[in-house]
Amino acid sequence: MRPMLKLDQLSATVGEDDEAKAIINGLSLYVPAGEVHAIMGPNGAGKSTLSYVLTGRDGYEVTGGSATLEGDDLLDMDPEDRAAKGLFLSFQYPVEIPGVPVMTFVRTAMNAQRKARGEEEISAPDFIKKSRELGKQLNLTPDMLKRPLNVGFSGGEKKRLEIFQMMMLEPHFAILDETDSGLDIDALRTVADGVNALRDPERGMLVITHYQRLLDHIKPDKVHVLAGGKIIKTGGPELALRLEKEGYDGVLGEAA
Amino acid sequence: MVLSVTDLKDKFRNPGPAELELIARYAMLPESGQRERAFEAFAETGLPHRRMEAWKWTDFKAAVKAVEAPEQGAQSAPLPAAGQAVIEFTAGGVTLPDTLPDGIQLHERTDAQALSDAEEVPLGAMTAALAGRVGGLDTLIIEVTGEASAPLHIVTRGDRDETNFARVSIIVRPGASLDLVESHVGGAGFSSFLLELSMQEGGAVRRTVLQRGSADEAQAITAVVNLGDKSEYVQTALAFGAKVARLETRLTHQESGSHATLNGAYLCAKGFHADYTSHVRHGAPSSVTRQVTKGAVLDGGTGVFQGKFHVPRTIGQHTDADMQHQALLLEDGAEIFAKPELEIYADDVECAHGNTSGALDPNQLFYMRQRGIPEAQARALLTEAFVSEALEEANDGVRDALLDAARSFLAETVA
Repeated sequence: MRPMLKLDQLSATVGEDDEAKAIINGLSLYVPAGEVHAIMGPNGAGKSTLSYVLTGRDGYEVTGGSATLEGDDLLDMDPEDRAAKGLFLSFQYPVEIPGVPVMTFVRTAMNAQRKARGEEEISAPDFIKKSRELGKQLNLTPDMLKRPLNVGFSGGEKKRLEIFQMMMLEPHFAILDETDSGLDIDALRTVADGVNALRDPERGMLVITHYQRLLDHIKPDKVHVLAGGKIIKTGGPELALRLEKEGYDGVLGEAA
Repeated sequence: MVLSVTDLKDKFRNPGPAELELIARYAMLPESGQRERAFEAFAETGLPHRRMEAWKWTDFKAAVKAVEAPEQGAQSAPLPAAGQAVIEFTAGGVTLPDTLPDGIQLHERTDAQALSDAEEVPLGAMTAALAGRVGGLDTLIIEVTGEASAPLHIVTRGDRDETNFARVSIIVRPGASLDLVESHVGGAGFSSFLLELSMQEGGAVRRTVLQRGSADEAQAITAVVNLGDKSEYVQTALAFGAKVARLETRLTHQESGSHATLNGAYLCAKGFHADYTSHVRHGAPSSVTRQVTKGAVLDGGTGVFQGKFHVPRTIGQHTDADMQHQALLLEDGAEIFAKPELEIYADDVECAHGNTSGALDPNQLFYMRQRGIPEAQARALLTEAFVSEALEEANDGVRDALLDAARSFLAETVA
C-alpha cells in the first residue's frame, strides 16, 4: 500500500516555553492511501492538538518524532506549504472571515495552492461551474456562496462550507476535526455524503470524533483510540461500537 | 499694502522660516478685508503644532520647516475621471472643464470671500488667506441648482512646486444634488485645499476623496460643511498620508432632519502620516450622523483619528449618532493615535462610539494559511477586507479605483 500519513513517536507541547504542556506523547499512526481512519478519544486526549500540530499552527511545538505526508516531512513546512502539498483540515470551529466572500476565498486558496505546485490557475468558468455543482450537492445556494466566509452562517452551514472547501480543493489527505459537532441528522448525512464522495484510492482521511454516530455514515477502515496523547488501541469499526456501549472508561481500563 | 512684512510678522509668535515665507506671499496679494480676517485667524496659531490640543499628534510646524519643492512631482494618478467634469488646481492656476454638467454653474471670484469658522480651522484660514493670485481667481464658487448630470472631480496636483493652495466653495440649492470626487495627489512641498460646502433644504452630496502625497510633502484637506433641513451628505475618504497629511471635516447639522455619513480609511507605510479628524455639531434636532473610520499602519507609519460629536442641550435633542474607529497595527513599530469624543448636553439622544486598535487575528491568519494562502497574501487580503467596509459608500464610478489603490498598496507593502 502507498503510504499517505505516517506519524512516528510524535511528541508535542502547547504553550509558552516555561509553561509548555505535553499533549502528544509518542504518537505513532499510519494511514495508507485509500483508507479512512477514525480517531476517537475522551475530552483532553489531544485530538484537536494533533490536528493543529499536523497543520502547523503557531503555539504548538514538536518535541520529538516525525510526521510525513507521502514521504515528505510535514513538520519542516509552513502551514500554506502543507496545504499546497495536499493536507486539508476541516476545522472544529470554522473561523469567520468578514469582508471576504466564500467564492473569493476559495478561489484565492485554490489558485495559491496551484501556484505553489507550479500549476496554472483555474479559469473563471471552470471555477464557477465546479462551485455551483458542489454547492448544490451540499445544499449551499449561490447566494450563500457570495456571503462573507462563515459570517452569519449557522453551525451546520459552517460545517457544510468546510466540506465544500474540501471538495473544491481536492486534498490528498483530509483531517476532519469533530465535523459532526453541531450537526442535526439531515446535515450529518449531507456532510457524510460529501466526505464519502471524496473517498478515493489516492486519498487518505482521518476522522476525529467523540461519537460513533458519524461513523455510521462514514465507515472507517480502522478506529484508533487516543488517550493521554498516544494511540492506546486500534481496531476495526466494531471498536467504535464497543466504545459507544462501554464508554471510554471501559475500553481504557482494559488497555491500561 | 498698508502693512509691512515686519508688521505682519509681529502677529505671529516665533514665526519659523516657512511662516515667514507665507507672510511674504500674503503681503504680495491684493488687499482685502476678508482675506485679512482669514490671515489674522491663521496668525493666531501660525502653522499648527503639537502644543495645540487638536494638533498634538499632527505637527505641521515641525513637518513644514521651510517652503520648498519636493524631490518629485505628484507620484500618484488622480482617480479615474471618465464621464466627469474635471477642475484641476495646480501651482500655476486652475483649469476648468470646457462644458459643465447640467445643474452646475461656476462663479469665478477674484475677491476673497469670508470664511466662517476660520478660527477653528487654522490651515483652512491659511488657505483662505493665501489661495488666489493677483488679477486671478481667488475662490471658485460652484452653485448646484438641480440634479447634477455628471460628477464633478476636483484635482489638486503639483509638479515639483513649493505650494499648491486652492479654495472651493459649493452651494447646493434646495433639492439639488451633486456627486463630488476629489483627488489630492500632492506634488507640492505644501498643498492645502479648502472646501466650504453649504447644503440647503433637501440637498444631497456624495463626496469621495483620495489623498496621496509623498514622504517629503505636507498636505491639508479641510472641509467646512453645513447641512440644511433634511439634507444628506455622504463622505468617503481614502488617505495614504504624506510626511504629514490631515483630512479634516468640520460639519454642522444646521437644520433638523439632516443626515451625514462620514466614512474613511487610512493606510500608512513607513515615513507616512495620515490624520483623519472630524468635528460634528448637532446644531439642530433629529439629525443623524454615521461614522466609520478604518486604518491600517505599517512599521514607521503613523495614523491619527480624532472624532468629536458635539450635541448641545436643547437644539441637539433626538440626535442619533454613531462613531466607530477601528485600526490595525500591521507590524511592530506602527503607531496609531485615536481620540473619539462625545460631548453631549442633550438628554434625549442616541449616541454611541467604539474605538479599537490591534493586530490581525491569528486565528483568521492560520485558517487562511491552512487553505494554502501564503501568509503575506492572507495578511493583505484580511486588511483589504477590513478597510473596504469604510469605502462601500463611495461614488460608484471610483469605488473600484479606491479598492484597487488599497489592494495594490497592501500587496506591495504587507509582508
